Amino acid sequence: MFGLALRTLRFRAGGFAAAFLSMFLGASILMTFGSMYDTAVLGGASGTGQETMVTMASVVGGWGLLLVVFAVASTLTLSVRQRAEEIALLKSVGATPRQLRRMIVGEAAVLAMAAVACAVMPAALAGRGLLELLISTGQVNADVSYVFGPLAVPMGLVITFVAATGAALLAVRRTARMRVTESIADAATDQGRMSKKRIAGAVLFLLLGLDLAIVTATAMRNEGSDAMSTAGQASIYAAIGMALLGPIMIRRVVAVLAGTVERLGGVTGYLAVCNLRRRTGQLAGALTPIVLFTAIATGTLYMQSTENAALEAAGLAKSVEQKNIETLNLVVIGMIVVFAAIMLVNTLLAATTYRGREFGQQRLAGSTRRQVLGMVALEGAVLTVTGVLLGTVAALFTILPYASVRLGSALPEGSPVVYAGVTALAVVLTLGTALGAARRAVRSPAVAAVTV
Amino acid sequence: MFRRKAEERTGSPEALRLESVRRVYGAEGNQVNALDGVSLSLPKGSFTAVMGPSGSGKSTFLHCAAGLDQPTGGRVFVDGEELAGRNEAALTKFRRERIGFVFQQFNLLPALTVMQNVTLPLKLAGRKADPEQARAVLARVGLGERLHHRPSELSGGQQQRVAIARALVTRPSVLFGDEPTGALDTRSARDVLALLQEAVRMYGQTVVMVTHDPVAASYADSVLFLADGRIVGRMTAPTAEAVAERMTHLSDEIIPAVA
Repeated sequence: MFGLALRTLRFRAGGFAAAFLSMFLGASILMTFGSMYDTAVLGGASGTGQETMVTMASVVGGWGLLLVVFAVASTLTLSVRQRAEEIALLKSVGATPRQLRRMIVGEAAVLAMAAVACAVMPAALAGRGLLELLISTGQVNADVSYVFGPLAVPMGLVITFVAATGAALLAVRRTARMRVTESIADAATDQGRMSKKRIAGAVLFLLLGLDLAIVTATAMRNEGSDAMSTAGQASIYAAIGMALLGPIMIRRVVAVLAGTVERLGGVTGYLAVCNLRRRTGQLAGALTPIVLFTAIATGTLYMQSTENAALEAAGLAKSVEQKNIETLNLVVIGMIVVFAAIMLVNTLLAATTYRGREFGQQRLAGSTRRQVLGMVALEGAVLTVTGVLLGTVAALFTILPYASVRLGSALPEGSPVVYAGVTALAVVLTLGTALGAARRAVRSPAVAAVTV
Repeated sequence: MFRRKAEERTGSPEALRLESVRRVYGAEGNQVNALDGVSLSLPKGSFTAVMGPSGSGKSTFLHCAAGLDQPTGGRVFVDGEELAGRNEAALTKFRRERIGFVFQQFNLLPALTVMQNVTLPLKLAGRKADPEQARAVLARVGLGERLHHRPSELSGGQQQRVAIARALVTRPSVLFGDEPTGALDTRSARDVLALLQEAVRMYGQTVVMVTHDPVAASYADSVLFLADGRIVGRMTAPTAEAVAERMTHLSDEIIPAVA
């Protein structure tokens, strides 16, 4: 089966692009920050400089691990599901579930190796840049020399490898449980009902977020910038809770916006509303990365700008540690933004491409290409509005308590441009991906699209 | 309610006319003539079955005649108006004004209810979607009680009847059927064919149906036989036995020619 895995990889390079990309980025980030360990231990650093680098490597490494597992699992699950037919074919010619598992895990393992190999050079360069940044901001002594390798490479390799194969096992399990016909019937009868488990999970995460927000506002009141540790996490938990509530929330937003969308969009608006009502389950998948992205980016950026304003008001210069935290915050956000973007693009691409047949049917019923694209755009717009809305609410779990602790006011400090930028990025990614995929899906003749 | 509007439009007595239509697939040097100079004229209110063995060009014929595919050569007229030389958007608009489709796989939109599926072509065309008219057409195909069901909640035969209602609601010049009974059991197939026949007999609808089933073809007024991209025969007032007999001989004629 391993031979088959290799041939599949070579033959279907495109289908694995997203999984490869998330592994490559994950390995790059892990090794870049892994090199801070190397430098801290072997580069002649000492004191706070050493501490800074070790903290940085562990924090970002931990986040990186989480993100790699999450992103690789989501991209691999999709690529496995899209191959349901091929897998059914292999089953019918006698492949056992065990053999299939070996094939898919084998593919993931090869991808992980290739991703790590490709990531070594960029990571070595990025690590050097990071060290220079730390030296130039005075967080690390100038005489520290850069070391890349003994810890960074094994760390990148092992974590990426474990994350990839673990995610592949997850993907196989999920796909095995779902038959092809089921997934199609799913799309047709999807009511947006949520399982009890999912609701319980959502409530749990929202309560966790609320708890951290309250702890920030009360117990951390006199802890100064240390309140960041609880405040920062509050929006992450709240965002996960909100994302789990996705199906319900989409229905709510659609109920509110339906009239406007139909008035503005005419028949395309009417079709968009029908689809939004019937496909809430699938849309919720694309909603998750939008919510996470908006919540974490908005929450962390405004927390940081509030912190900066608080220090300024107190007439204090930033200490080395505070500078460290700012750098870390920005790095973590950057990572989350990139991974959320990959997940969003990948999920939307797969979901939209999967609708090729439906688009064909619609065109046979008399839709022009433009009408199909208009419908997709309106659906994307509603999806973005919902995601940004939920993400913003989740971000408040961080921003409000932190502003109250550090500034004694209900409102955070910071330019509205930041929020506008975050929103704009969410809009561009969602609409760009959905429209790009839809445009490709309607390029073939309608009759060909429905016979696939 | 299936009242024809074609007369009011152009006054042309022909619903469909093909003039030496050719369709060539494949690259230079490896070309296949799927349609090799097909000419025909079908009067309004006729029910025609197009038959032929696999690979005879039936589907290509239907796609070219219905404006779903561009012929390589020749001309196609629907209701006196030529189809050629239009872009995709213009062709779509032409189709939704004048052509109705019924496919083997129904092709109803899964997210829409029965009623929404039937009114969709009118809405897409920017016409007033009269719910009374849609309801009447659905009652006509025997689904007056199922307006708010989704396609996935209906049997294959019921879905195909929804598809017929959807095709008839725009009062098309020609209704094309692509193996409309191919995915149905015998009983549902009979219902569907009877509905098509009724649309022709009672309301003057023009129907062109591609099929490989002699029983289905026997519901038509006349049968055209297609082989290797050419029309090789015609039969009026067909019976299932006569059609089957003819098909058997068609294969006899073709197999030596291919070998």
